Amino acid sequence: MTETSAKASIADRVAEATPPTVARRVRSLSDRAIAWLFISPTIALLLAINIFPLFWTIYLSFTSYKANRPNAPIVWLGTTHYENILSDPDIWHSMQVTAHFVFWTVAIETVLGFALAYLIDRRFRGHAFWTTVILIPMMLSPAVVGNFWKFIYQPQIGLFNYAITFFTGGDPAAFQMLGEVSLAPWAIVLVDVWMWTPYVMLICLAGLRSIPDYIYEAAEVDRASRWRQFWSITVPMALPFIMLAVLFRGIENFKMFDMVNLLTGGGPGSTTETASITLKREAFESWKTGYSSALAIILFVAVFGLANIYVKALNRVKQR
Amino acid sequence: MAEVALSGVTKRFRTVTAVDGLDLTVADGEFLVLLGPTGAGKTTTLRLVAGLERADSGTVRIGGHDVTTLDPSSRDVAFVFQQYSLYPHLTAYDNLAFPLRSPARRVPEAEISQRIEEIATMLRIAGKLQNRATQLSGGEMQRVAIGRALVRRPSIYLMDEPLSSLDAKLRADLRLELKRIQGELGATVLYVTHDQTEAMTMANRIGVIENGRLIQVGTPREIYTEPRNVYVATRLGQPAINLLPAGLVPNGAVPAGARTVGARTEHFRIKKAAGDAAVGRVEWIEHLGDQNHLHVAVGDQKIVTLVDPDARLERGDGISLALVDPLYFDAAGNRIRGGG
Repeated sequence: MTETSAKASIADRVAEATPPTVARRVRSLSDRAIAWLFISPTIALLLAINIFPLFWTIYLSFTSYKANRPNAPIVWLGTTHYENILSDPDIWHSMQVTAHFVFWTVAIETVLGFALAYLIDRRFRGHAFWTTVILIPMMLSPAVVGNFWKFIYQPQIGLFNYAITFFTGGDPAAFQMLGEVSLAPWAIVLVDVWMWTPYVMLICLAGLRSIPDYIYEAAEVDRASRWRQFWSITVPMALPFIMLAVLFRGIENFKMFDMVNLLTGGGPGSTTETASITLKREAFESWKTGYSSALAIILFVAVFGLANIYVKALNRVKQR
Repeated sequence: MAEVALSGVTKRFRTVTAVDGLDLTVADGEFLVLLGPTGAGKTTTLRLVAGLERADSGTVRIGGHDVTTLDPSSRDVAFVFQQYSLYPHLTAYDNLAFPLRSPARRVPEAEISQRIEEIATMLRIAGKLQNRATQLSGGEMQRVAIGRALVRRPSIYLMDEPLSSLDAKLRADLRLELKRIQGELGATVLYVTHDQTEAMTMANRIGVIENGRLIQVGTPREIYTEPRNVYVATRLGQPAINLLPAGLVPNGAVPAGARTVGARTEHFRIKKAAGDAAVGRVEWIEHLGDQNHLHVAVGDQKIVTLVDPDARLERGDGISLALVDPLYFDAAGNRIRGGG
């Protein structure tokens, strides 16, 4: 009630509102100790479900452990798994599939997303309505998207083949988007672009809206053409946002599993087998737990390393 | 440099008439200041000259050519915005070079660097040319923005409250510099502000604007001593002119029809007085150092005027007031000459 209470530590104030027995214990704690007390449940949870499994996986990646034979003796194998993985052509193939998928989805989504954002930013009549319509695919679950695109790609009854042959003529059943080696990688790229271009558009739109009108007006008075305004104002000023969208989509698609697993399951053959599908197969079909742990660690380091390099570049752009 | 003439220019935004039948001519080499409160239509007028807005009716002429329907890029004007409108990812140098590098101009790079050096020295930012726009202070950014207008040799410089976002000290410095540079270049400038000090110190002529109409144009002295109406009179003077009902304070012959007396500091004769001679009472004194603001109550009326700090007046003192050659206004607020 007096000036002492205003200056009292958190501990004292907590103690005032606490029964005497508890109060005695709390009063002896420093503010820092109380802060630790409050965050300790979260930290315990993080340790239990994030940090411990990470280190456990690192340990398992050096052993012969198999999750379906928990009683078998665990043999220390050193770096054997890592050596096998890095010299396995199948793994390198799935890495290439992943790289192809990541590169093309991110490239197409960035170009299309930015173009859409540029158009929406014109604020034509009804632009708010169209923004919402464009955003719908992004709000769906990847499982739902995977399933209904499977129907759309169905050669006999699917809309996709029907639409293509409606314009080109020919037999709708003559090609299978998900069943042909040359088409399947592009089929999954198309679905991902359909689903995630709106997301890139949204981020780019935020970037474009952050450029004040008077910069364009100044440029107009300075006799900069539309083309020059676009390249010397719009692009450089929206670039940090575009790069952020690329980062998010890149990381997300590097880990791509659910949608591709539903659409093709990695097939035909292994043409669409991304790294995470290989990982799931090795871990839960072949039950090579130690081996797949090593693969998971390699993927983790790759994503983490690439993302770090990228974030450094992003920060450099932002500081300009 | 060229003469700029607006005749009968009107601009509406939906239901609001921002500029209403405006006639204004800025002579070649003249520094004309548009003065008025926020929303009076000053900035719209400037944007109409620049081509950033299109007039609904009337014509805009620059150097004798009708430019009413031309784009900003074809008008040969330079515009300094109220905000620091720099290209943030470019250096100060590249910002200054931006308008010169326009393909429409084809200025050789050697000439660009020579002109930039010249202007940068003039604006005292020569040492900051390699800094990125975002690494400059507010004052430096606005100097670069002004410099970007100056490196060009446009028909007219349009400036929209370029100093309003700067602190008082810098504002005073740049005010002087701008006026000096304008003189050196012989530039035609149309300058918008609501700051009466800027208007008084920089303008060759001031145009007072209200609700999109030009009320009066004249030299700063004319606008101050011969305002056309109450509105113009209240634009200039610090402290603001006192508007009193005619007859409240004793003075000489009041002209017929005068309803309002406009009294500035220099129109008052104030003496300490007691008893019946005391017309007013000192309510408050603000000490400003070199001067004091004296707040006086005369009946229900409040008067604010300046007094010498040496005047031995205190709060509560009775004073006698007299007016010498004040301004008279009729019932409609228009000025009536004469009296004395």
